[in-house]
Parts: sequence; structure tokens; C-alpha cells
Amino acid sequence: MVLQPQARYIDAMPEPIYLDHAATTPVRPEVLEAMAPFYGPRFGNPSSLHRWGREARAALDEARERLANCIGARPDEISFTSGGTEADNLAILGAWRVRRKEGRNAIVTTPIEHKAVLGCVHQAAHEGAEERLCRVTADGVVDKSSFDQLTRPDVAVASVMWVNNEIGTVQPVADLAVVAKSRGALFHTDAVQAFGKISIDANAVPFDALSLSGHKIGAPKGCGAIYIRRGTLLEALFHGGTQERGRRPGTENVAAAVGLAKAAELTCAERASETTRLRALRDRLERGIRERVPDAVVHGAGAPMRAPHIVNVSVPGTDTESMLMALDLQGIGCSGGSACQSGSSTPSHVLSAIGVPRELISAAIRMSLGSLSTEASVDRVVEVFAKLVSKARGLQPVA
Amino acid sequence: MNTRVLVAMSGGVDSSVAAALLVEQGYDVVGATMKLFCHGDDIPDRPCCSLDSINDARRVCQTLGIPHYVLNLESAFGHDVVDNFVDEYARGRTPIPCVRCNTFTKFRDLVRKADGVDSRYVATGHYARVIGGELHRGVDATKDQSYFLWGIDRDVLSRMLLPVGIQSKAETRAIARRLGLNTAEKVESQDICFVPDGDHTKIIRRKLGSSAPALSPGAFVLSNGTVVGQHDGYARFTIGQRRGLPGGYPEAMFVVAIRPEDRAVVIGPREELLGRGVIAREVNWLVSTDSRQAMAVGARLSVQVRHRAPAVPATLIRDDGDEIELALDEPVAAITPGQSLVLYDGDRVLGGGIIERAAGNTRARASLPVLAA
Repeated sequence: MVLQPQARYIDAMPEPIYLDHAATTPVRPEVLEAMAPFYGPRFGNPSSLHRWGREARAALDEARERLANCIGARPDEISFTSGGTEADNLAILGAWRVRRKEGRNAIVTTPIEHKAVLGCVHQAAHEGAEERLCRVTADGVVDKSSFDQLTRPDVAVASVMWVNNEIGTVQPVADLAVVAKSRGALFHTDAVQAFGKISIDANAVPFDALSLSGHKIGAPKGCGAIYIRRGTLLEALFHGGTQERGRRPGTENVAAAVGLAKAAELTCAERASETTRLRALRDRLERGIRERVPDAVVHGAGAPMRAPHIVNVSVPGTDTESMLMALDLQGIGCSGGSACQSGSSTPSHVLSAIGVPRELISAAIRMSLGSLSTEASVDRVVEVFAKLVSKARGLQPVA
Repeated sequence: MNTRVLVAMSGGVDSSVAAALLVEQGYDVVGATMKLFCHGDDIPDRPCCSLDSINDARRVCQTLGIPHYVLNLESAFGHDVVDNFVDEYARGRTPIPCVRCNTFTKFRDLVRKADGVDSRYVATGHYARVIGGELHRGVDATKDQSYFLWGIDRDVLSRMLLPVGIQSKAETRAIARRLGLNTAEKVESQDICFVPDGDHTKIIRRKLGSSAPALSPGAFVLSNGTVVGQHDGYARFTIGQRRGLPGGYPEAMFVVAIRPEDRAVVIGPREELLGRGVIAREVNWLVSTDSRQAMAVGARLSVQVRHRAPAVPATLIRDDGDEIELALDEPVAAITPGQSLVLYDGDRVLGGGIIERAAGNTRARASLPVLAA
């Protein structure tokens, strides 16, 4: 028997369809091309004083400027990180550790945040912080009056995501930032799913810190950035050198910074046309599913604003795990709630926070559109999905 | 399109090789690891549940070029297997969770998952065989696991593939080595999967509290009622056990009974451990209706009351459907409530049940029941 180490099941699939752009995206060819020199002749360390160092430094400075331009920031307000999670850690823990010394010990956030934010808040609580979670509506939007009520003058930092990664609802970040500022609290927003989908402008919305991730927008995994408004003090997570103004010591990942800047520029330039295209595809997908499966429930569908790329749907009488497997074996890649380290699906904390009944939570499928999505692929997904649903409903569920 | 088979992959060598053999035989193989419990922070080396086992299984699937999924069956396994395990100990009995896992988890819940992905077959790494729609012992007598499979739904037999059942464990390892599977040299665990440190009282304490009667002090008594000492919880004992008993007797003493009603652990010499008959409940038959009808009162068959014990000749003397009684030709030691009674005709498994109690005492040699396969 000769075993081929490559995944031969993929070859056997009929036209694989990637419908999980909210999980990650392919690196864009332009991005890869922009990065290539930094894995070749321009290998220098930006901190070195010689020509190799200068070349790298120039690329890093330029990348910082270009990324800053994408969100109405100044270059000194951008620090490159290893990704969204690190940016969230730096913003929340960094802010709270500075400001608890001023008697501000509370953190306000929402129960529908990404685990990268909730994990930081729990860590701060473990170190003595007071954790306050805002109410959210059944449509998956933060209740402004609850936020207002909880954001008292003892709050160090308030963190509310811009676009929810599981259901795509847009949060009223502009209003919340104003409230937080009026109470002297630092306002952070995780914009990992928002970038490229809605307009982000540091001049229009008074957030103090904002997290970005590269791999959601066509840059490689392992790179991201944090925006830190001038005058905002954060305690660094790492200790060592003075790179990134001491906020993020360690030799800079020049290639990744260049790639992130390139991806951000491309994404911003295409934002209007791409969101229009994705919205149409999303509506087509949703309409198709509703027509074929009339009792399908789309979570967050009633929110005043939704990002154009995410459809989170539950069909009564199905279960996430079996549907994801069956879809995958048909060549369609979607996702469930947040994945556990083991790879098994765990019930979504987001859906449970917005009051979705248990049997619908355990049936939720997140489909997220992006660069690889087309009308034809959406139509095929609707076909296959509807077929799998009727099949699943003929089967008994596991207790 | 090849016939699809969903393989339950524990991350051990047997199920790894089962998957490999099925790939070799040309099936459309899909690997699945069932996540059945979560240790939380109890086991520092295992940060998330059975993560290492899941990783091992996934690595094998990558080598084989087949998809791998993790199926979260924690909640069903919790009530079907773990809760029952704890309840049985609370009742002074000695359960075999693997039997219930096979019955409810692998060959019921997993089969439903298989249905969901159009999988005709379900496979495992059990050392047993399905021949003509009937269950038989595995070829390797030292590894035979048919004892643990008596409880499955008979209709599932036609969908079961047990590729390693036709070979020895040594052959299984040789195949794993030949294919360079990462699980080839994995040490076999005799532990119950959700009791990884061998101390089953921990999970009883977690579920029932440390003041549970099963974990509270009680008396060691002789069968004549004389109190001869104190123990620290009857859940620590099983029929036939010698360890941890009061000493000072001319002959070896064994646990011969556990009485949850007064928390007594009854000890006695070897003779008191022997049973000439056995009563079993939750009876399940794995043979066809015709064969079953031939199994009337008076039928002669072989019975096995413990894993790795020899099957002994017996006569079916009572059959009330859910409950049966057998008379044993020779007395058998340590017939233990909660263990399985499995009925054989040679290598063919006829059916089985959960031992309710022994009926009648006499003389034979003692050995301990095993808890896990």
C-alpha cells in the first residue's frame, strides 16, 4: 500500500466552495509580491544604521504611513502586532493596567465579543478588575442605554467590537465611543471584521484604540496592527527593546507590515464596489435559503445595520456538527460557532447571549462571503444546503 | 463513488490501523474522533479534554489522506455513560462503561452521525468480527473485545466494519509501523478514558459530593454479621477484591458482597465468592429472531461473566424477556453485579446482559473483574 501524504479527498470533490472568509482569506497575489523582496535582498533589520537597515526601515515607515492613511490615522498611531488577538490584549490589558492606578478598575464590554476580547477581560478580572457586560438586543446589537448605565467614571476601558464575527451585526461604535469619552473611559474597538466592510475613520469616530488583523483582508496570518490615538497610554505586554515606540518590543516583521499595508490599501480602494457585490451575493444566498427552507432562521437579520459578508443561519431539526461535516464532504467550507482547541464545535456564546433558543444554537451555520464567492457558487450552496437539510430532518437527532 | 465508511478514531493504534486498512481496501474513509468528556483543569498535562488523542487521530488521517472530524458527544456520553457509571457505584455495583459507550455512543450516536454524511458503514478498532450479520470473537484470543459489544442494536451489525478483528495485535502494530503511523508505538491504556489516573472515586466525588454514602466510612463484616473493621467508602471495593481488607485471617479473604443499604463491605474466604448461577438484566440478543427462538429455556450455551475469563458451559433456566437466569455447570468466582454476562456459542456472540447477582454459592478460583477494555 502506498499512501500519498497529500489530501486526496480534496481532489475527489466537485468544485470546492470556500464560504468561510470570516475565518480567513487567501493571501492576495499583489500582497505576496509586495512582501517578496523582504524575504530576499531587503532582509535588513530596521533598527540597523547601515544601508540594509535603512532599506528595511524605509519599507516599515512607508507601510505604517499607508496603513494609517486607510483609517484616517497618523503613522505614529499605528503599531504592528502579530494579529488581532495581540492588538486586543494590548488595548484592554494595557489600558486597564495603566488606569487602575488612577482608581479606574472597571471594564465594560459585551457578551458578544470575540474570545480575544472576552479572554482579556476575564484575565483582567482575574487580576482584580470589575467586569461589566452590556445587554444586547435579540438582533445582536449592543443596548446603548445599558452601555450608558455601566460606563460610569470608574471605568478604565470600554471595548465593543465594530462588526460581530459570528452574525455580522454592526455595533453603534460611534455613539458608544462618545459616551465612553464623556466618562473619561478609554474606548477600544475590535475592527477585525469591520475593516474593508464599513468606513473606518479615526477623525470621524473618537475611538482611542482599534484592532486590525491581516489575514481577514488578504494579508498573511500572523500579522495585524493596533491603532492607538495620540496621548493614550498603554502598558506594553512584552518587554525588551524600543521597537514600535516600546509598545511592542521585538524586531519588526517588515515583510508582514508591508503585506498588511498593501492588503489594507487594496481592500479600502475596493470597499464600495466589493461591499455592493457581497451584499447582493448575501441577499441572494439568504433569499435562496429562505425559499428552499422557509423556516430557516437568520440570526441578526433584524439588526439596523449588517456587514455584507456574513449569514448565520439555523434550521430547526438539524445540528451544526453534522451539517458542517456533510457540507465539507460536498466540498463546501462553512463554520459553526467558535471552534474549541480540539476542533469540535462548541455552542456559540454569541447566539446564547442574544437569547437564541438552545435547539437553534446547536444548528447554527455561519457562511461568510468574500473574494472567492460568485453567484454560481452561492446558487450551488443553496442547492446543496437545502438537500442536506431535508436529509438531516429525516434523521433522528443525537440526544 | 466508493462506499463511504465513518471510522471512530480514538487516537490509538487499533483504530488508526482500522482506518488505514479500509483506505487500502478502497473505501471512501472519513475519520472521526468523539470528544466525550472534558477534564477541565484536573489534568495539567491535558489542557483541553482528550486533546492529545484527538491530535494523534488527526495526524493519522493526514498521513492517510482522509478527512478528520471531531464530534462533540460530551452531553450524550455524560448521561448515557458517566452518570450511569457513578450511579452503579452508588448502588454498590461495578460497572463497565465501555459496554455502555459501545451500545449508546459508538453504535447508536455515531451511527446517526454516519447517516448524516451518507456513510453506509461505521468502523472501529475493536478486536471482534462480524460474520454473516452476526458478531464473533476476534481472532486474537488475548485481545478479543466481543465481551464489550453484546449491547449494541442488532440492526447495526450489518453496517459494522471491524478490520482489525481478523488479525493479532502484533499484526496491527506491524501494519502501523509499515505505514509509519504516528500511533504505531502508542502504549495501550487499561484506564477508563474518563478516569485517566485510575482513581474512579474522584468522579464519584465530583458528581455526588464527598459526603456521598458510597464514599463514607462503613463496616467490614463477615457473612455471619461480625464487624471486623472499617472501610472508607464501599465504592472503593469490588467483588473478588483482596487489596485493602483487614488482615489476620488464616486464609485469603475477598470482598464477597457490597451492601449499599448499610454501607457494609462483606468479606469472606474463597468459597463464599463462588456462584453456581447468575441472573442478568437489560438482556439484548444479537442473533436472528429464528436463532433467538431456538434459545428457549433449557438451551445449552457458554457464558462469560468477566472480560478475559473463560466462557463456561451453562443452561438457560429462566427467560423473562428483560431478565434471564443461567445455571452454571461449574461454579464461577466473583460474579459481580454491574459487570456483563455474555452468551456465546463457540466464537459467536448470542447476546448478553448486565449481571444483577449470582445465584447459589460453591467452590472455584477467584480473579478480579476488569473495568476497561
